Amino acid sequence: MIRYSLFAILLLAAVPAQAQQQAQQLAQQPASILPLIDAHVHYSHDAWDNLPTADAIAILRRANLRKVLVSSSSDEGTQRLYQAAPDIIVPELRPYRRRGEIGSWFRDDSIITHMEARLAQYRYVGIGEFHLYGADADLPVPRRMVALARQYKLFLHAHSDGDAVERLFRHDPDTIILWAHSGFDRPDAVRALLKRYPNLWADLAFRNDHASGSKVDPAWRALFEEFPDRFMVGTDTFTPERWYYIEEHAKWSRAWLADLPAPLAERIAFRNAEALFARTGFRIDR
Amino acid sequence: MRLFRLVAGCLLIAAAGFAQAADAPVFDAAQTRRILSHGPWPPEMVADRSNRLSGRPEAIRLGAVLFGDTRLSGNGAISCQSCHQPQHGWSEARARSEGLQRLDRNAPGLLNARLQRWFGWDGANDSLWAASIRPILAHTEMGGSAAATAQLLRNDPPLACLARHVDPAAAAMEDADLLVLAAKAMAAFQETLVSPRTAFDDFRDALAASDRIAMTRYPAAAQRGLALFTGRGQCGTCHSGPNFSNGEFHDTGLPFFIGDAGQPPGTPRRVDPGRHGGIAQVKVNPFNLLGRYNDDPSSPAAIPIRHVVQLHRNWGEFKVPGLRNLIATAPYMHDGSKADLHAVIRHYSDLDEDRLHADGEAILKPLNLGDAEMADLLAFLESLSGPEDSAARYQALRAEAARVCP
Repeated sequence: MIRYSLFAILLLAAVPAQAQQQAQQLAQQPASILPLIDAHVHYSHDAWDNLPTADAIAILRRANLRKVLVSSSSDEGTQRLYQAAPDIIVPELRPYRRRGEIGSWFRDDSIITHMEARLAQYRYVGIGEFHLYGADADLPVPRRMVALARQYKLFLHAHSDGDAVERLFRHDPDTIILWAHSGFDRPDAVRALLKRYPNLWADLAFRNDHASGSKVDPAWRALFEEFPDRFMVGTDTFTPERWYYIEEHAKWSRAWLADLPAPLAERIAFRNAEALFARTGFRIDR
Repeated sequence: MRLFRLVAGCLLIAAAGFAQAADAPVFDAAQTRRILSHGPWPPEMVADRSNRLSGRPEAIRLGAVLFGDTRLSGNGAISCQSCHQPQHGWSEARARSEGLQRLDRNAPGLLNARLQRWFGWDGANDSLWAASIRPILAHTEMGGSAAATAQLLRNDPPLACLARHVDPAAAAMEDADLLVLAAKAMAAFQETLVSPRTAFDDFRDALAASDRIAMTRYPAAAQRGLALFTGRGQCGTCHSGPNFSNGEFHDTGLPFFIGDAGQPPGTPRRVDPGRHGGIAQVKVNPFNLLGRYNDDPSSPAAIPIRHVVQLHRNWGEFKVPGLRNLIATAPYMHDGSKADLHAVIRHYSDLDEDRLHADGEAILKPLNLGDAEMADLLAFLESLSGPEDSAARYQALRAEAARVCP
C-alpha cells in the first residue's frame, strides 16, 4: 500500500501543466454529463504512428472520459499515453510485444520474461487484454500469468470463452477477471458465470445486443439489475482508425445508460470500473 | 473418305477439349451450386416502384441529358459525368474524385447500379434517385441546389420540353419536387446501364446445361481462378449472386484513414467512418424511402431503412462492390488505393488479420496465394468483363433528346 501511495504522489507531481489544466476543465463540465470510464482501449504501434499521443489524449478528453483502461501491443503505447496524461490513463499490461501475437503468446515462454520485466519496471492495474480460449488456459504461460497477477495484485482482462475463464479461476480462485466483451456470450451464459464467480467482472466492448439505439434490451436489463456492480463499458480500438470512434461510442453509451435508473447507470458508467481498479490497490484520482 | 474425315475432325476437337480440361479443376456439387448462383445474366429488368419514372423512355432520355449537364453544379463546370465517365465503366481513373473539393472516395462505377439496395460506398442513400440528388446538393461535390435545378428545368427550353414530356405539370412544381423529378429521371437512365454477358456467363450456362464441350471454351486459368473464388478464397460469400455483391458492408482490413499516402508518421489524420456515417445520413435524409417522395411507400424496398441501426462494426465498413466489368473501373477500393486488380488480389493474399476484430469478419483469412494462383484469380476476374456499348447508347439518347426537344 505504501508503495502505491508513494507511486500516486510521484504521479501527481509528474502531471504536466497542460494535463492539469485539461483535468480542471473536465472537472468544470456540466453536471448533466454522465462520467464515463472506457474500460477497453488499445494504443498499439500502428496507432501511435498515425495518431500522436497528444491527439489521442485530446480525443479522450473530448469524449469526456473520466478514466481510460489502456493496453497496447507493444506496451510502449500504453506508457506513452500514461506519461502524457496519468490523470486519465489507467495502464494494463498486454502480454504481446507486438501485433501478431494474439494466437501464439500462450505457447511462447519468452512472454513470461517479457511480463516479468515490464511488471518489475512499471505499474499496472491488470494484465490484458489477452486472447485465450478453452484448454489453452492450462498451458504454462497462462498459469504463470495468473501467478503474476496474484503477486502484483492485478486483475486479468480476458478475451476468452467461458471455458477459459473457468480454467483461470481454477488456477487461482481468488484471482479477479475482467471478462472482455462479456465473452460475446448470451445473457444467460454471462449470468451463469457471474453467479458462479464473485470475482468476475465484464466489459461490454464491441457488442450491440444489450442496447439498440438508446433502448436497453430487456434480457440485458434484467442482467444489469441482477448484477449491478459487475458491468462496465468500453470501445475497443483494435485498429488506429477506431480511436476516432471513441467519442461516438461515449455518446452512444450515455444514451443507452440514460434508459436505466440513475444509480444503476452510474455504476455501469464508471463506479464499477473504479471499484475494480480499487480492488487492485490502484489509486483513482477523482 | 468424307465420313473418315468427319470422325477424325470430331476426335481432334474432343481431344483438344480434353487437353484443355486436363489442367482445369473439377467442381464438386457444392461448388457447382455456388457457380450457378452467379447467374443467369442479365437479370430481368424490374421497375423501381419508388420511382414512378423508372423504365419510362421519355424519363430515360431526360435523365441522360441531365447526367451530362454541368449547369446542375454551383460553378457550372461539373456534371455527374465528370466523375462517372462512360469509358471507365462510369467510374473514373482518379483514385479520389474531385468535385468543388477533393473528395475522400473513388467514384463507384454505375453499371448494374439498379441491382443495389444501398447506394454509395457508405450506403448513405436507399434509392438510386436519392443517390442522384446527393452529389448535386453536396457543397463539396457539385454545390447545386433545388432552386437552381428547378429554374434550369423551367427556363431552359430543351430541358423544359423534355421535362414536359415526362410530366406535363413539371413547370408548375415546387423546387424540391422538380429536383426529385430530375433525380428520378437520372435514376431511370442509370437503370439502363447494364454490363454485358461475358465468358464467365457462357461457362456458367454451359455448366447448368452440362454442356462439356461449351465449358471447355472457358480458359483453364479462369476455371482455376473460379475454383479459388468459390472455394478456398470464399470470395463468393460477400461477392455473391449474379452481380457478385451481397449489397452489404464489410471491413476487409483496409486502412480507412483519409489523407495522401506518404505522410510522415505522427501527422494527424482523419478517418472515413464508412457505413457508420452512412446509416446516420440515410436515417435523416428527407429523400429516403420513408419520406414523401417515395412513389410507393408500400414497396418492400422501404423495409431496410425501417430496421437498419448503427453497429460498432459499421465503423470503417464499405460496400461490397459488384465485380462485373471491373476491368474498366480501376483504381479499386473505396479510396482508390489499389491501382490494379493485382494489387487487390495481393491485399487479400497478404491480409493483415490484426486489423480485423477477433470476433469480427470470421471468414477473412490471408489467402497466401502463390504467383500462379494469383494469375488464375486474375484470369477469372478478367473473364467477368466484356465489350459493352453503354457509352454509345448514352450518346444516342442525348442525340435523340436533341431531336425531340431542340
